[in-house]
Amino acid sequence: MKIISIFLFLISFKFTIAGEIEVSIILENCKSCHGENYEGNEYISSLKMLEKNDFITRMNDYIIRNDSEVMSRISKVFNKSDILKMADVIYGRK
Amino acid sequence: MVENSARRKFLKKIGLYSSFIALSSSFIPRGLQSKVKSKPRVVIIGYGIGGATCLEYLVNYSNYMEIVLVEQNNKTQTCPLSNLVLSDIISYKRIVHEFDYNKFKNIKFVNSYVNKVVPYKKAVVLNDDTKLYYDYLILSPGVGFKNDIEGYNYKDKEIVPHCWDGSKNIIDFKRRLNDLENNSTVIISSPDYPYRCPPAPYERACLLANVLQRKKKKFKVLILDSKDSFTKKENFQNEWKTIYKDSIEWVSRSKGGQVVYYDKRNKYVKTNSGEIFKGDFINIIPNQTTSDLISKSELNSKDSWCSINPVTFELENYKNIFVVGDSINAWDMPKSAFSANSQAKVLSLNLINRILNKPFIDPVFLNTCYSFSTSRRAFSISSWYKLNKNKNKIVSLGSNTSSLDYSEGDYLRETKEAYGWYDSLVKSIYY
Repeated sequence: MKIISIFLFLISFKFTIAGEIEVSIILENCKSCHGENYEGNEYISSLKMLEKNDFITRMNDYIIRNDSEVMSRISKVFNKSDILKMADVIYGRK
Repeated sequence: MVENSARRKFLKKIGLYSSFIALSSSFIPRGLQSKVKSKPRVVIIGYGIGGATCLEYLVNYSNYMEIVLVEQNNKTQTCPLSNLVLSDIISYKRIVHEFDYNKFKNIKFVNSYVNKVVPYKKAVVLNDDTKLYYDYLILSPGVGFKNDIEGYNYKDKEIVPHCWDGSKNIIDFKRRLNDLENNSTVIISSPDYPYRCPPAPYERACLLANVLQRKKKKFKVLILDSKDSFTKKENFQNEWKTIYKDSIEWVSRSKGGQVVYYDKRNKYVKTNSGEIFKGDFINIIPNQTTSDLISKSELNSKDSWCSINPVTFELENYKNIFVVGDSINAWDMPKSAFSANSQAKVLSLNLINRILNKPFIDPVFLNTCYSFSTSRRAFSISSWYKLNKNKNKIVSLGSNTSSLDYSEGDYLRETKEAYGWYDSLVKSIYY
């Protein structure tokens, strides 16, 4: 049942961003909340304080989670490849 | 208008920071009035969310362009979070930001009102009739308001101010609200689409109810709507039922909710069905159009909004003029601070690409609109946007809202995220 509801949630989007848009411009939008250097603030998580692998794990978790948190909602348009590219830009390729 | 104390402070800064040239329009140096220069001149008009975001991005490329910011004020009062100020949840100071000129080293500032844009001369006319020439012009002027309800004039100081434009009228609004007695009726007239911040009339209904509830007053909030539906409708109606116990009532346009007549003296409105509603506090949020500067300069299209190229934000009919934020027709994107911020990033990056003769980036935009129903309950709607196949429209990838099954903790988390978004936004552009 859960798998079906996740599937229905995913197909509710008309199309995805995956692979079509340069990751750097996607990340410019992430900065609106996470700050111009991903530093976060009193209320929003700092991405810079996360390890690269933690970021990847959390983002992949948001993609499959069946809840309506803001991050879950806006992450649904990404695939695993997008997440890895984002991580490379934020944390470097190492 | 520029306040004297702010102006003194502003002028003092000129002496302290010589790399930053801040001048009233009367003292524009000959260089700025001249058309001859080595680097292209980018003139930004307006230092609201859109204009400030453009400056934030362009200033990093000031070696390649001469940047001039034209702004009549020395501080800004944001529309985001302003309903929380009206309802005494946050202080007025929280949404007022003095411009930190010291942040920028390589831009010129012109402290002036802009009368008009003259595209064929590539010039803007300032309040003393001096001309400021541009190679590229960025306009971020916000919205204008219509007086299309009989008997209503938004400039009339005797009526409740609309408080939809970041003006100081917010103090007057609060004073009138505080004067309300027991068993008062508050009427909010919600405008027709398109208008700035679509969920805000309904958030305002919640928060005015909230402040009256905290004052232990009996009241009724009546939303008379020029539309038959609205964004986050289920979320708001859930709040009205569970938190405000149906003290907030919504009347759709088709049920006679569109206000067509306002009687200031007798404090009532008449709607499209002919029904009369009496109110102790009548807050008409006027229908909206493009800003006065855009319409005076005749830069808008037939639908009254600006038609832009969604890759560059350049006006369709005027080369080298770019418009961002509430004055444009952005197709699926709502008129919001989040949208203006997202659009301004694309505009700036592609203007830099144009000046550096590089290919344009394929844009993607994000919007999240948070709404509060109490000091501890917020919910939101989010969507990504990209271009359609023909690359001539901005289309939504599908919007999603907060769940109606949220726990108290979920609402509180979104409350914090709303403050977090706002703090990151103003920090990046104003501090």
